[in-house]
Amino acid sequence: MSEPAKKQLEEHPLVPVTGIVTKIIDETPDVKTFHIKFENGRPFTPMPGQVAMLSLLSIGEAMFSVRIVDEDHLEFSLKKTGIVTDALHEIEEGQEVGVRGPYGNGFPVDLCKGKDMLFIGMGIGLAPVRTMIYHCINNREDYGKMQIVYGARSPQDLVFKEDLLENWHEVPNCSVDVTVDRGDDEWTGSVDFVPPFVEKLAPKPENTIAIICGPPIGIKFTLPVMEKLGFTNDQIITTLEMRMKCGIGKCGRCNIGSCYVCLDGPVFSLEQLKTMPNEY
Amino acid sequence: MKILDKSKLKDLLNSLSGEAQVFAPVNEDDVIKFQPWTDGKEVDLSSNALLPPKDLLFPQTETMYRYTTKGMKAEVAEVAAGSEKQVIFAIRPCDVRSFLMMDDVFLTKGYEDDYYKNKRDNTILISLGCKDPEPTCFCDSMGIDKSESEHADIVMFDLGEQLALDAKTDAGKALLDSLSELEDGSADKPDTAECIIKVEPQGLAEKLAKMFEHPYWEELSRKCIGCGACTYLCPTCHCFDIRRKNVGEEGFQFRCWDSCMFSEYTRMAGGHNPRPSKKERVRNRFLHKLQYFPERYDKVACVGCGRCLAKCPVNMDITRIIKELGEVAVNE
Repeated sequence: MSEPAKKQLEEHPLVPVTGIVTKIIDETPDVKTFHIKFENGRPFTPMPGQVAMLSLLSIGEAMFSVRIVDEDHLEFSLKKTGIVTDALHEIEEGQEVGVRGPYGNGFPVDLCKGKDMLFIGMGIGLAPVRTMIYHCINNREDYGKMQIVYGARSPQDLVFKEDLLENWHEVPNCSVDVTVDRGDDEWTGSVDFVPPFVEKLAPKPENTIAIICGPPIGIKFTLPVMEKLGFTNDQIITTLEMRMKCGIGKCGRCNIGSCYVCLDGPVFSLEQLKTMPNEY
Repeated sequence: MKILDKSKLKDLLNSLSGEAQVFAPVNEDDVIKFQPWTDGKEVDLSSNALLPPKDLLFPQTETMYRYTTKGMKAEVAEVAAGSEKQVIFAIRPCDVRSFLMMDDVFLTKGYEDDYYKNKRDNTILISLGCKDPEPTCFCDSMGIDKSESEHADIVMFDLGEQLALDAKTDAGKALLDSLSELEDGSADKPDTAECIIKVEPQGLAEKLAKMFEHPYWEELSRKCIGCGACTYLCPTCHCFDIRRKNVGEEGFQFRCWDSCMFSEYTRMAGGHNPRPSKKERVRNRFLHKLQYFPERYDKVACVGCGRCLAKCPVNMDITRIIKELGEVAVNE
């Protein structure tokens, strides 16, 4: 890790350090993963679930889930959605980009220790979930059974295919179940929406923490299923998105009640969300 | 305590200008604004400035850093440097109090905003106690002593023909001692009139925590035209946007004031907006002032300066809103 870069980000939390995009992976027609290399080592060590600002200096910056690849590289996966992501989807390997962070609270890795882990990802929502999945894989003995459930709109929209279809199947005591909303001629897997798919898989709530990330509509319909399966609000963890500019709780816009998503989130338990205004 | 004959006020400001950039309330076209002091300007101490001096710590637009981009290359070229010493002369107690709230936002909760901190650390406050509050003032109700500002470096009183100055901090004392225009003396603090408007915001936060879904917000928001003038004039509003300007291969990132009254403020990529209509935005503005900020920083984010109610084009009045919120029935 690069100490000078880390120090710069601490002293000037709103000023990015630059890195070079060394690898671009086409995950789906509208999702790409970027590996960013920093000359003297990565500038920070994000916790699973933390976020960082990624920028094309002349275009703008936006907040994304960030993952450690190795000592020199950080990784971002982004869906083409707005001005910044449109531009980032056009860049080529070798492009220099700005990064600042890490921001937010991250997943409660200690609270989850000793628990069975249920991961439910929908669409690009698998990106934050995946940071925790990798944490559990890298600290396998600290966590119990791992159960990964993923749903995408179609087989073409499956992200992180290597992980979903190969790598994670080799993790001890770990199941991976994948479904799509609509199949195609070659798809032999499950065709189902995530909520009924989870209901059929019927994960056990005992001593389990569920991490659920995806589009709001997916989360909305999955929560009643979780309740039916016997999960309590403190067993369910999710991440929220809001428009962000500063990332350090000053610029004002990402508040939900008196909480700032950039600082106090983006990870919240359902129990916490129930005490907050429904405005996200 | 030091005494200054008002006839020597210009001399005093000129002396102060030797050490730092002085900002003083100057009347120009019937508008009182804090302006960089230069000899020849007329200081107007008759009433508070139309715009709060918050832009001296948190400029309306502020360059954050410069960068160059060329082909695939991108470099952050220069982090905006620190600030010059500045003196804010005749800042009113309400505006001094607002700086404490700015301090909470920009200097606490895990991150110090270096742009703000540089300016704050280089700023000396010379406050002027208020004798005759405006009809729109209600600082009494916000727990502010308008006769004297406890958080200024130097407090100043208007004695009519003279000004009395008293240092409250070491920096203030050093500054006063260096000014030859001042004479040692003593004076009684002048009497101050009470504000006409009275409200009771204390304890309202607990009630508001149960009022998020209350029909009051819909009704209240109908009148608002979403112009954002209230947030522009408010000394405690601190929201900002971050943008950039490119000129060829060079560019700079800057921040500028933003307003929670605008729909783009929260509109996300993809179009989702958690506060899509005036109802949500008006509700957020007043809950932020009266509930969220108190929950987060233990202070009501209003100093009773009365600027928003004096200038709102549709007469939205935070004092009336505080009263009404105190009165409406809430279903437990």
